[in-house]
Amino acid sequence: MFFPNPIEVLTYFVHTLTHKIGKYNLTMHTLFSLKRVAVGFGLSSLSGIILGVAMGYSKTINAIVRPLFNIIRPIPGLAWIPLAILWFGIGETTKYFIIFMGGFANIVLNSYDGTVKVNPVLEGAARLLGANDVQVFFHVILPSATTYIFAGLQVSLSTSWMAVLAAEMISSYEGAGWIINMGMQTGDTTLILVGMVAIAIVGFLLANIMRILERGLCSWTIRGR
Amino acid sequence: MDNQGKIKIQCGHLHKTFHAKNRKQDEVNEVIRDFNLQVRENEFVVLFGPGQCGKTTILNILAGLEEKNSGTVVVNDIEVTGPRQDRGMVYQTTALFPWLKVIDNVAFGPKMQGMKHSDWKKKAQYYIDLVGLTGFEKTYPVKLSGGMQQRVGIARAYCNDPEVIFMDEPFGHLDAQTRYLMEEEIEKICNGEKRTVVFVTNNIEEAIYLADRIVLLTNTPTHVDKEYVVDIPRPRDYTSPGFLALREEITARIDTTNL
Repeated sequence: MFFPNPIEVLTYFVHTLTHKIGKYNLTMHTLFSLKRVAVGFGLSSLSGIILGVAMGYSKTINAIVRPLFNIIRPIPGLAWIPLAILWFGIGETTKYFIIFMGGFANIVLNSYDGTVKVNPVLEGAARLLGANDVQVFFHVILPSATTYIFAGLQVSLSTSWMAVLAAEMISSYEGAGWIINMGMQTGDTTLILVGMVAIAIVGFLLANIMRILERGLCSWTIRGR
Repeated sequence: MDNQGKIKIQCGHLHKTFHAKNRKQDEVNEVIRDFNLQVRENEFVVLFGPGQCGKTTILNILAGLEEKNSGTVVVNDIEVTGPRQDRGMVYQTTALFPWLKVIDNVAFGPKMQGMKHSDWKKKAQYYIDLVGLTGFEKTYPVKLSGGMQQRVGIARAYCNDPEVIFMDEPFGHLDAQTRYLMEEEIEKICNGEKRTVVFVTNNIEEAIYLADRIVLLTNTPTHVDKEYVVDIPRPRDYTSPGFLALREEITARIDTTNL
């Protein structure tokens, strides 16, 4: 069928939530993809924030890392797929790596921006109130960079979700990306759409979780109010 | 007032020049030339001068936030080399930490110095009450009006127990009505909590209303033009003969020297 009707897709969607497609049911496939994103995105967030903040805080670190970073930055995460497969094979590491590369640059840049754009007047005010270097870092620089860092995380999470699907479509035996690829190979348009619906729902949920987190962490900004 | 009390601020032959790197040539901008100031304990000194004359730069140097080219600055018997907690600052645009609630802004200094939770809480509450912000402890600065934000700034400076407080046109951005109110407020606070204050303004009424002594500054390169001791009894009335006479005198001086 060229384009299955919505009811058919929905029925199949509900059915596969508990019934196997390939090795697992739809819920498990989605959880597989989510786990990969969690690992890849977790690693890119952690290292990206640390590197970005370090680059913003220290001119020396920035001078060393910046040239390398500027070369890597314009390369989309997906362009790393062939190299990743040759380096790491077709296992999980490859997928983590692709997701990592998809989100990393953005997080670094935003963390760097946030750290650099700290209002020097606030820094001076903190020092006049008796804060030392470490306290200025944790009580002024980091909090004022939070909004920037969060903007980076939000964008990176959605690119991570894209990257995992691409990685799964190329080499995988499970995951949401595998489902739509399977649908294509067997000419099953209903299955493709079921996969797409699952992807949409997860993407929507991820974006909203980030928004709620932001509202909690950045409640002091007008936007987060 | 002149010959009593310990000297808190001793500033001699202060010079400051900014170098702006231009594309074609180096721009040299001499801001302060041979500025001298002596402030005694618990004195309220107003630096009064035209806009853009380097008043903020002087305060920043006294506070240790900016470096001088030459001269000596001694505050509280200590040569100024950098920011120190014995000096407080109330800023022109409120430099509150927007991510901290009112109470955490006010208690920032004591917290940084490791004061116990119950102690800083009590102390911050005292100053919040003093500036009339009771009930706003848990509010973020972004939700406060300009006048209220400035009150938080004042409370924050006082709560850190500085020996000297610098106020850099703290009411410059407020509307006229709020400004009068804040001037009365600051006078009340200063009477209740005696501190050495250096207050910068370009508003003549504000200067006469608040000052023990007015230091009239010239245009750039800034130095002291003349000093006026204000001995009108407090609280002062903007329309009393003494007030108006001094206002007249200072205005005339500004006109003749063509500031």
